[in-house]
Amino acid sequence: MATVPKRLGVKFSLIREPQLQPLDIVPIFQRWIQQHTVDGMLIDVIDYKHVPNGPGIVLIADEADFAYDLGDGQIGLHYIRKRSLPGDLPSALRQCFFYALQAARALEAEAPGDIAFDFTSAKISFLDRMHYRNEAAKLDEIRAELAGCIADIYGAPTEVTREYDDPRRLFAVRCRAQAADVDVAAMMERLQASMQKA
Amino acid sequence: MSTWKELLSEQIPAEMGNLIDIYEAQMELRKQGKLDEKVFAEARLRKGVYGQRYDNGQRHDGVRTRELAYPSDETVKGPDTLWDAPGMQRIKIPYGGLTAEQLETLSELADEYSDGILHITTRQDIQLHYVHIDDTPDLMRRLAAVGITTQEACGNSVRNITACALAGVCHDEVFDVSPYADAMTQFLLSHDDVQDFGRKFKVAFSGCAGHACGLVKMHDLGLLAQTREINGELQRGFTVYVGGGLGTVPHQAKVLAEFATEEELLPLTQAIARVFARLGEKKNRNRARIKFLVAKLGIDEFRRLVEEELQTLPSDERHSAYIGNLSDFTYKPAKAGMALNGRPLPDGFDDWYRSNVYHQVQAGYSTITLHTPLGDFTSEQGFKLADIARRYVGDNIRLSVEQNIALRWVANADLPAIYRDLCAIGLGDAHAGTIVDITACPGTDTCKLGIASSRGLTAELRARLIEKINLLPDAVRELKIKVSGCFNSCGQHHVADIGFFGNSRRSGNHKMPHFQVVLGGQWQENAGAYGLAVGAVPAKTVPDALEALTERYVAERADDESFQVWVKALGRKEIKAMLQPFMQLPSFEDSPIYFSDWGDSRVYTIDDIGVGECAGEVVSLFSMEIAKAESTHFEALLALDDHDYSLADENAYKAMVLAARALVRTKYLDVGDDYDNIVDEFRSRFYDTELVFDRFAKGKFARYLFKRHGTAPERINEDYAHQIIDETQLFIENVHSAEQRINGVIVS
Repeated sequence: MATVPKRLGVKFSLIREPQLQPLDIVPIFQRWIQQHTVDGMLIDVIDYKHVPNGPGIVLIADEADFAYDLGDGQIGLHYIRKRSLPGDLPSALRQCFFYALQAARALEAEAPGDIAFDFTSAKISFLDRMHYRNEAAKLDEIRAELAGCIADIYGAPTEVTREYDDPRRLFAVRCRAQAADVDVAAMMERLQASMQKA
Repeated sequence: MSTWKELLSEQIPAEMGNLIDIYEAQMELRKQGKLDEKVFAEARLRKGVYGQRYDNGQRHDGVRTRELAYPSDETVKGPDTLWDAPGMQRIKIPYGGLTAEQLETLSELADEYSDGILHITTRQDIQLHYVHIDDTPDLMRRLAAVGITTQEACGNSVRNITACALAGVCHDEVFDVSPYADAMTQFLLSHDDVQDFGRKFKVAFSGCAGHACGLVKMHDLGLLAQTREINGELQRGFTVYVGGGLGTVPHQAKVLAEFATEEELLPLTQAIARVFARLGEKKNRNRARIKFLVAKLGIDEFRRLVEEELQTLPSDERHSAYIGNLSDFTYKPAKAGMALNGRPLPDGFDDWYRSNVYHQVQAGYSTITLHTPLGDFTSEQGFKLADIARRYVGDNIRLSVEQNIALRWVANADLPAIYRDLCAIGLGDAHAGTIVDITACPGTDTCKLGIASSRGLTAELRARLIEKINLLPDAVRELKIKVSGCFNSCGQHHVADIGFFGNSRRSGNHKMPHFQVVLGGQWQENAGAYGLAVGAVPAKTVPDALEALTERYVAERADDESFQVWVKALGRKEIKAMLQPFMQLPSFEDSPIYFSDWGDSRVYTIDDIGVGECAGEVVSLFSMEIAKAESTHFEALLALDDHDYSLADENAYKAMVLAARALVRTKYLDVGDDYDNIVDEFRSRFYDTELVFDRFAKGKFARYLFKRHGTAPERINEDYAHQIIDETQLFIENVHSAEQRINGVIVS
């Protein structure tokens, strides 16, 4: 059974660059804090849009960060769980996917038609170099468990590949559902059901 | 291997590892409520672990103040500072010098414990924000494994020692101050004489008088390189400045010594530290910096006291030992120096070359400045920059007090290639050191004391100025702008041509963010003059006010008239009249936008301002030292739980000696670290005099120490370990009681 990393991230990228600018995200995230739009103990919004390929605009919460992320040249919603991860990797992944989907859909609702995510693919980051060195062997070691778990999340077979070759960078994988589209509502229902069961 | 402590045990120097273990034990004691919150706060600050905005569990969301219900809401890491609230980790980078490997480690830590951003401060530190305190011991261990410490990065201690980023490659310097800054860093780190300050103590080195760089005149202690000829030989030394500082009330440093030789440098610094520790204010932290002591005593009396103190210093071979090692401090360029070779240059190179390249005194080499907006760069940029450094310059990386990165020893022939590589990672921006290269403190983004958004304003000014940078006359391009979020001057607004610091004003029933305009400060000549406040303008009109100011300067200045001279000639009254149109306060109903700060959509409030930790907690030397004994005792308990009885004995014995030392040092600062000396002094000063005697048990608890010190145990087993740990606990309690009887209340 693979170790639960100290922190775990899931990022969904946008299908295309939106009209909405990163600066426009600041009031949206500020409003999310006022209205508790997403789950979590929401603390503050920080603006890093001046840093190229950086975390962009970040909504800081106690247990997680929600970033309107500009990393890797792909704008997206990056959910990073920092605390209170469940004790097994499949549960931790389900938790992160659920909250990442929740935030991504909330963001889509802020600018319908302009903000649109590609939910068939996600980047999963393991922010824990102690247990997850960025090596091909690491993916070989956990591939079966990871692929099975992600296939359960998607309800479809998935392909899993390593995201970065540079061994200094975080161990991250790209997962792609072998399906033309995914039913996000059904996916969230499945995730919520399994989270409640756990 | 399952912990960083185990994994890195071979790479972490023993002393650094020990200090981190003590801190980790103090964390545990605090969580259990066994360590006073003020004492822990100061211990935490001295490890660079700092509070952040909203860590008191409250935040105004633009409508009302809401409670932030952190999970461990009962536990605090300091007064009004909740355990689970994210904080900032400050990391000392002496004189800004970094290796490629260190840069990689810092980038790893930003990824795993922070938000992926590394922030360069105006003291050449790196700061990571939104760090959970529970992660800090491992973070420190990973730094220690590559030779970086966070020890005394905050709190009432000697902060990161700064020096000019061009030291060693500069045309104007008298000599390279880097090895001296390095030697002083090592000498003062955890030194007994710098543990009992009422406030922080900042030290800077500069290689020349004329340029800015080291800014020695705005420091608690500033060292300016000088040489003199003695019997035909050139002798190196420093003009010693003392008592400078910015803050609310800026002070220019005074000359303490016109020329201190290399041999005198460290003992003189030690003597200054002793005088400051002994006579500096401890209760009122608003007047506890050394500048107030120097002002109160006068420089002549202060000098006399320092000279007197010098006579009492115990001899220390480190005072002069470093001089023999100065020649070891050398630079290894990655490549041989070569001239630019006339090949086609990439687009944008000329602009970049004009502002970001400095030709070193060493032929064929340049230092290039990487302009990092707001002092921020990502972990990914950090990794790639480490690659670029290895390829072109080796370990010759420096952080600057202008929140930039300098790569030194670039062969001139490589300039086009390194420019291309830097552009590829987003660090090829031109205009370093120009008006767009604005310094800013964290302000309301993360600082508990922030009143207005210094980073928000800076981002706005930068965006506007960069649009027209190529149209600006040189006189404006070269102006320096610095922004602080409050009057405490972390953005160094006093020493800018144009400075701003945050404040607020009321319009009707609403508060409006403002910035006070400070004009005519002098960055050159080591912060040669401080600017004057001329009036506060609403945050939203600052960009327009700046434009009006610079346009008038260009229109009216005489040939080559500096901004400082022009401001002085124009006069405060006229400047205020010029700014008046920008000072009007519209009503909330007419212009609600004025009532939000830059980069923040919330309606402005000052309700989020908290109590800053910049000053640290004023805690007695005894409290800090006995806390070390208590955490070492706790380590003994952990060893007992692990059935490592030898280690339990070793730690228990050490805890008793540390407790004895804490008491001895209330009377005799120079007792040192030698166990025999400590026990002898304790015996003669406190046991023979019966000062440590308990009312009923008399000298029984002290004899636990003497017994263990006199005879090592023949057989160590669980029972023995239990016994000595219990005895240690009793002895520590005995020392606490004795100290209260002898010295009175222990926490100010």
